[in-house]
Amino acid sequence: MPKPMSLALRFLGSLLIFSHCAGRALAANYLFFLEAQGVAGYSSAMKKTIFFSMSQRESMQKPSLGFDYVQRFSGASGDIAALVVQARLAVNAEGLDEVEPQLFNAFVRLRLAGNYLWAGHNRPKFGLASWFDSHGHLLQPLSMSGFGFDRDWGLGFERDFSWGNAGLSLTTGSGMPLYFKGNYFLSGRIAGGVLDRDNFMTGLSAAYGRVLDVEGYHLQSDEPVLFEMVGVDSTWLLNNLENRLEIMAGRKGDSAAWAFLWRTGIGLLEEGRLKLEAQPSIFRTAGLTNLQLTAGVTYRADADWTLRAMVQHDREMRDTRFVFQVYYYKGLRF
Amino acid sequence: MILRLLKSDVAILIILWLVAGLLGRPLQAAVGCDLNDPDRDVKRLFPESTGYKTLYLSIAQKGGEAMLRRVEERLGDRFQGLYETIDVPYTMYQIFKGKDLIGYIHGVNQKGTYGGIQVFLAVDLEGNIRAFYFQKLTSQYGKQLRDKAFGNQFVGLNLRDFASYDVARGAVKGEGKVAAIRNPAPQAEPDFRAALRAAKKNLILIDEFLLGDRYLES
Repeated sequence: MPKPMSLALRFLGSLLIFSHCAGRALAANYLFFLEAQGVAGYSSAMKKTIFFSMSQRESMQKPSLGFDYVQRFSGASGDIAALVVQARLAVNAEGLDEVEPQLFNAFVRLRLAGNYLWAGHNRPKFGLASWFDSHGHLLQPLSMSGFGFDRDWGLGFERDFSWGNAGLSLTTGSGMPLYFKGNYFLSGRIAGGVLDRDNFMTGLSAAYGRVLDVEGYHLQSDEPVLFEMVGVDSTWLLNNLENRLEIMAGRKGDSAAWAFLWRTGIGLLEEGRLKLEAQPSIFRTAGLTNLQLTAGVTYRADADWTLRAMVQHDREMRDTRFVFQVYYYKGLRF
Repeated sequence: MILRLLKSDVAILIILWLVAGLLGRPLQAAVGCDLNDPDRDVKRLFPESTGYKTLYLSIAQKGGEAMLRRVEERLGDRFQGLYETIDVPYTMYQIFKGKDLIGYIHGVNQKGTYGGIQVFLAVDLEGNIRAFYFQKLTSQYGKQLRDKAFGNQFVGLNLRDFASYDVARGAVKGEGKVAAIRNPAPQAEPDFRAALRAAKKNLILIDEFLLGDRYLES
């Protein structure tokens, strides 16, 4: 096994031990979840069985084992801060790195007079992905198609209002890995509506920066490219129906870029255990326009186990892909 | 290839995890019911507050099977579904004015007509309801149920008042304050009953976790 991999494993092991110790010392102030998933499918273009949902080089989704940890810190008169760590060890069926450590959340969030400040690896304030956590899902928002980042390294500020939420972040524009090559990503989002309260939320986002072209942990180019983009995202719920919409337009690199995504879903059975979703998306980057048609089904077997399946047609890749996921998420107390 | 991986360092990490699992015991099986925005919500429900503390509690951790049976008996119904497992985490907020504790906020997930609904209660130190509201409710009749006038009917009630509410039958025995609560949306009767069940369950959990079983009749 290559040295960096062993180091990464030791890092994850240390995090695990740290989280155990923290948990023992501060019982009832933390949440700790074990996460495991199996992912397998078939690609018509590759004509073979695959063990990923997007690509071998992307972070999501692959067979993996991980954890999700939240530790709150309080003073005599209330909460002060929270430490959030979410990491995985993913298995690559192909390529040199057979085991890939993945760090999704790794940030500290401070509470200051009604404002939240965070530093570390978190979701930048841009688009649907800035608040909608998809890190366990098969269907992904536009951030996973090159329109922003699912996670990025940096700093962020956020405030909730009676009418909604606003936030700003300054991150490295390198996504999962951390690089300093003159890259940066400044983004902000202002949203009207509180989804759980109003069953409706619409956000306006804007971003400017020079970002690196990355696929998961793989750097495609050393040269940062221009990223200037505005976007609107909207989510609304009614009875057992869900709709999410995301539109972006601007420039990426030397060319115009735009994207449109619509996800519609219906929850069925008691407690909405069965969810059926459809997601058409179309996007243009680097002079190429691509259409993806995706359908997904999610079944929550019980409180710990979730089964998901997805079929996705990618016009550019001339690929139809079937992917199945068994997902386990279980809380532990130490 | 998979077999080769299992023999490598990954196996070591898996063993570490399993040992961790043995050292620990199951706590939560689903994410708990958190306030959307604690700063905003706490200030709205307790305008005089200056801070809050978040606690994570579970029946498995506090009293195990015996406590679960007791809670079910007090509720008059079995715990079932995704959000009523023994290890589901309950997020409870202690509200402070300076260093003085002045009340609690707690929300529960409850099976509704369309998936889950979330019912939050703000209570004083004696367990009397200061505020009732739905955080999550996607029903088309949500507007009527979310109306302040509906929530205000719960203000001042405590667990003793809910003793007359038969959760399993969805009916009130005799007269009482709970019997006086009116459903603003008769078409949404299942969600109305779910709200009453959620309020009673919520008060029982607050009593068990935070009030030292003040309302538990011997």
